[in-house]
Amino acid sequence: MATRVVLTHGTASATLAPRLTLADEVVKFVRTKPLGAAGAAIILGMLAVAASAHALAPYDPYRADYGLQFARPSLEHWFGTDEFGRDVLSRIMYGARIALFVGFTASFAGCTIGALLGVTSAYLGGKVDLLLERLMDVLLAFPQLILALAIASILGPAVQNVVIAIAIPIIPRAARVVRSAALSVKENVYVEAVHALGASRPRVMLQHIMPNVMAPYIIIVTAQLGSAILAEAALSYLGLGAAEPTPSWGLMLSGSALSYAEKAPWMPIFPGLAISLGVFGFNLFGDSLRDALDPKLRGR
Amino acid sequence: MATVLGRQRMLCAAVLLALLLVPLSVADPAGAAETPRRGGVLLAVIGADPPSLDPHQESTFANIQLVAPLYSTLLQIDPYEYPKIIGDVATEWKIAPDGLSYTFKIRPGIVFHDGSPLTAADVKATYDKIIFPPEGVRSIRKQAYSAVASVEAPDAGTVVFRLKFPSASLLANLASPWNVIYPKKYLDKDPNYFKTNVVGSGPFKFKSYTRGSSFEGERNPGYFVKDRPYLDGYKFFISPETSVRAAAIRSGRAYIEFRDLPLSEVDAIKKQLGDKVVVQQTPMVGQFGIAMNNTVKPFTDIRVRKALTLGFDRYTAGRVLYPLTGLRDVGPLIRPGTEWALPPAELETIPGFWRDAEKSRAEAKRLLAEAGYPNGLKLVLKNRNVKLPYQDLAVFVIQEWRKIGVEVENRPLETASWFSDGRDTGNFELIIAPTVEFMDEPDQFLNRYTTGAPQNWSRFSDPAVDDLFARQARAVDPVERRKLVHQLQKRVLEQAYYMPGLWWSRRVVHLAKVKNYVAPPSHYTNQKLQDVWLSED
Repeated sequence: MATRVVLTHGTASATLAPRLTLADEVVKFVRTKPLGAAGAAIILGMLAVAASAHALAPYDPYRADYGLQFARPSLEHWFGTDEFGRDVLSRIMYGARIALFVGFTASFAGCTIGALLGVTSAYLGGKVDLLLERLMDVLLAFPQLILALAIASILGPAVQNVVIAIAIPIIPRAARVVRSAALSVKENVYVEAVHALGASRPRVMLQHIMPNVMAPYIIIVTAQLGSAILAEAALSYLGLGAAEPTPSWGLMLSGSALSYAEKAPWMPIFPGLAISLGVFGFNLFGDSLRDALDPKLRGR
Repeated sequence: MATVLGRQRMLCAAVLLALLLVPLSVADPAGAAETPRRGGVLLAVIGADPPSLDPHQESTFANIQLVAPLYSTLLQIDPYEYPKIIGDVATEWKIAPDGLSYTFKIRPGIVFHDGSPLTAADVKATYDKIIFPPEGVRSIRKQAYSAVASVEAPDAGTVVFRLKFPSASLLANLASPWNVIYPKKYLDKDPNYFKTNVVGSGPFKFKSYTRGSSFEGERNPGYFVKDRPYLDGYKFFISPETSVRAAAIRSGRAYIEFRDLPLSEVDAIKKQLGDKVVVQQTPMVGQFGIAMNNTVKPFTDIRVRKALTLGFDRYTAGRVLYPLTGLRDVGPLIRPGTEWALPPAELETIPGFWRDAEKSRAEAKRLLAEAGYPNGLKLVLKNRNVKLPYQDLAVFVIQEWRKIGVEVENRPLETASWFSDGRDTGNFELIIAPTVEFMDEPDQFLNRYTTGAPQNWSRFSDPAVDDLFARQARAVDPVERRKLVHQLQKRVLEQAYYMPGLWWSRRVVHLAKVKNYVAPPSHYTNQKLQDVWLSED
């Protein structure tokens, strides 16, 4: 018995979701990622304090009041004063500048260099890939803070040296993440197409691959920000970062604060809280951003 | 009336009790009268690594405190009676009536740790290295021996110093703890041998040194002083962190910090350990000041140098920094209160020492504007990465200079780099440069202001200062010498070649079980530890 098959054209329709405005995106982010939104609020708060420290800080962070050494927290000095009679709150506000400057600069520089190396490694492959990856293996063999410590002790204590010391250990981490993304991007047909059209290698890498690995790049930048701030505090704490009398959170927590912790506990407590809050904010935001930008986790 | 009489009786009783107690607590601060106990290792803490192991070439506690127990010297400061001079390897000495020769008899039977005998030839080789160093060998204090023409060793037991002119201070200078005696045979091979090696004849032998961690010595059974040392050994733990060193004492992991600790740490230790801890407080033969590099701009201009010294309110600094660091007294280039120090009345007429801080700041601003810096200037202050008192002094003075429009960046360096930049290469604009010596002696303190002296970190050259130094070194009459010493100080301070800060005091904290250590007013002397003992392990 013969079977008769009737072939018909099917119909399909799809409606594109309406494009969300920035405000809608923010509302959606806050609704779906409340912890991330809290992190973002902390970061924005820190940015605002750092940017307007000169207007917000009640005192000059360098101003010493020798009649008010080790003053307890009060209405005049909310976070008390240190061994030179300097206002702890004002020094924390100005300290946010160094924390954010070092955090952003080191994280951005390390991730950008790492991303460029990752894309180069993935696209060129072969011996270049082999060499770059072994170099990254060497850098990754050292724990992040230990490598930063070694570099900072070679370069000497200064803020710009801290940025370099923190950025270098970030490079291999960013390179690995971006390389894996670039490996899949480079297999796309459009990459082959632009290559066939005669585009140079740098052009293919920078104009056609780089924009398509921005999601992991942004994630790694935000993920490294918190640890960069912590590393700055650690290096300053160990005497390899900013030097006195510069207001720096790590520096405020070290040396004098330890010696006077029993006499004036507010000296280590408030800078310690500032560091914790800053790192907490960046980590919350970074985690949520990763979830938001990761296609596998999107919508969860 | 009865109440009044009762009060009087009580007062008398209290005074009598106090009179009885004071000698008890003062006469034996560290257990000198008790029966010594043998054995045990003295555990100490120290704030830095030595740049090298050769005391002839160094001028830091980080060197002398570690190696002094390993060596002997010709003479020494009496450990119990500063500044009395007594012999060490010298048993007796004679000064010629014309003051032009000093003859020392060397104790027979002394052996170095390598088994070779210590003779007059070794003493001569040592002093030749100090006074007439060969090319490529640094001798920090050679200017203090400008009177010496030659050192002779006519036989194995006699050393003769022949002088160009009589010197009032030679004997004191020969008691320097820095002038440790080396075996000649090693110096003949390499005069820098002792920068990295130790062969001494002291109460302890070198055991080990791990940079940044610890330094150890062990008992020398062949030490020439009978029945000494009492200890089996000593061990220094090295940490630049003041709080770490204080915590080590609080927890009993270390027994003594020979240099100083801040008042807050001392109070906390006393509160926790009570009578298990002893604090010996003394003045200090040293001050902390700032060297301005006179060979680089803007410090080639006396107006800028004066402005900076005017901008430093020393009187407030003494009040603020004393509890934090022990830095206390405002003074000239020799310790205030001694006969050599420029008297306060004269000192207070010199810019930088005026009592009126506001007047000083106004004058500083005027001088800066006149020198072409009406809007202030930016400078870098190099510093040692030792908190006490280097960093605290820097913080204070930087904050003071902001008031006259001078922005200064504090740049801490590791000890060896700090010495290299400050003393050896002059790679700095401003640098914290203390002047600390083993005793109040003009030759020791003032040689650093002469042309080309290794300790002249400010790198200035003033023939008037050189002449005054040479003349005071030759002056045997104390009144004449004092006058010249005062003139020299006045000249250096008026020209603002160097900026003295504050004179230091010393709080030596140790557990009560550390006996027979008397803290002198210098942390360079009485470091041989030969008489120190532990009442328990």
